Amino acid sequence: MADLFPPAQVDAKIKVDEKADYSNLPCPVPYEELHREAFMSLKADNFEGLRFDFSKALNQKFSLSHSVMMGPTEVPSQSSETIKIPTAQYEFGANYFDPKLMLIGRVMTDGRVTARAKADLTDKLILKANAQLTNEQHMSHAMFNFDYMGPHYRAQFQLGNSALIGATYIQSVTPRLSLGGEIFWAGVPRKSGVGYAARYETDKMVASGQVASTGAIVMNYVQKISDKVSLATDFMYNFFSRDVTASVGYDYILRQSRVRGKIDSNGVTSALLEERLSMGLNFLLSAELDHKKKDYKFGFGLTVG
Amino acid sequence: MAAKRIGGGKSGGESSILAKISNSEIVSHGRRVAGDTIEISKKLLKSTGKAAWISGTTFLILVVPLIIVMDREAQLNEMELQQASLLGTPSTSMQR
Repeated sequence: MADLFPPAQVDAKIKVDEKADYSNLPCPVPYEELHREAFMSLKADNFEGLRFDFSKALNQKFSLSHSVMMGPTEVPSQSSETIKIPTAQYEFGANYFDPKLMLIGRVMTDGRVTARAKADLTDKLILKANAQLTNEQHMSHAMFNFDYMGPHYRAQFQLGNSALIGATYIQSVTPRLSLGGEIFWAGVPRKSGVGYAARYETDKMVASGQVASTGAIVMNYVQKISDKVSLATDFMYNFFSRDVTASVGYDYILRQSRVRGKIDSNGVTSALLEERLSMGLNFLLSAELDHKKKDYKFGFGLTVG
Repeated sequence: MAAKRIGGGKSGGESSILAKISNSEIVSHGRRVAGDTIEISKKLLKSTGKAAWISGTTFLILVVPLIIVMDREAQLNEMELQQASLLGTPSTSMQR
């Protein structure tokens, strides 16, 4: 629940003079976090059933987490009707946080193991690693990212299993506008592509757009009405499959709670309420209505620690 | 007898008139229009009901929690203000 009360963002970015000082450009956001603000408002993790998370810090750097999830899970099926079967899962996690090194491991009762690591090799070069092991075939994967942070650009090199190679680059063009590009090549489903992205931000709004040769076009716009309220909208279009989705949402952060609501063009309405009952005890209520599919999901949860 | 005959004759005449009326163009047309109206109004009522249901549930999900939470925030602020005025000091320690 680290995202419940996000710290006053990294927007402590050196306020460059209004007349652009092109020799003193800020470092842009990482390429994969281009839509950060919009995702924070619109991609609330709505769940169904019960969720209980407990985390305990053993010492300053090491902590353990336990979580229990119970409720219906959707099973993929050919028919349009969604089929749900009740499941219960337990997840055990161990975290190690250090200013220079971060290690996160998770084990689920269904046999899934995930591991994440982030290490600052130098103060400019960061290595991130992600791995997932499952007992299903072709679902296990591993990925290494090398991030290099320049004074006004960021570059990333990705290396994954099944011969995936990728690189991204993002550059601040003016103090507010940053432009980026990506290129990737996958060996196993022989595929390659390029993508471009742009992001424009001011104190009051953030607009970002991304287009890739896979046909996906993503556009986001976030308007910060005050430091507590923001309205976000996104638009996704796939050029080849002609899928269009758009959604509008709000994100309201209060002193003791946070409410996020969203409605999208498929007629799906969802809301997530996070309420702080006392220090270290959060209560979650999640709702999602899909009138078209007659699929209604409600969930509640507790986060301790 | 006579009454019956008269009545029978009358009723016969009436029924023929009724038949004439009910077979007339205007009445059948009117009946069709009435039927259509009922059908359309039924459909309209049904779709309005559905729209009301959808918008009502959407409101319940999106707006009601927001109102409740904002109301509680306002109450909390008010309480803090009261406390501050009672104690005469800015209650920074009250903030959790």
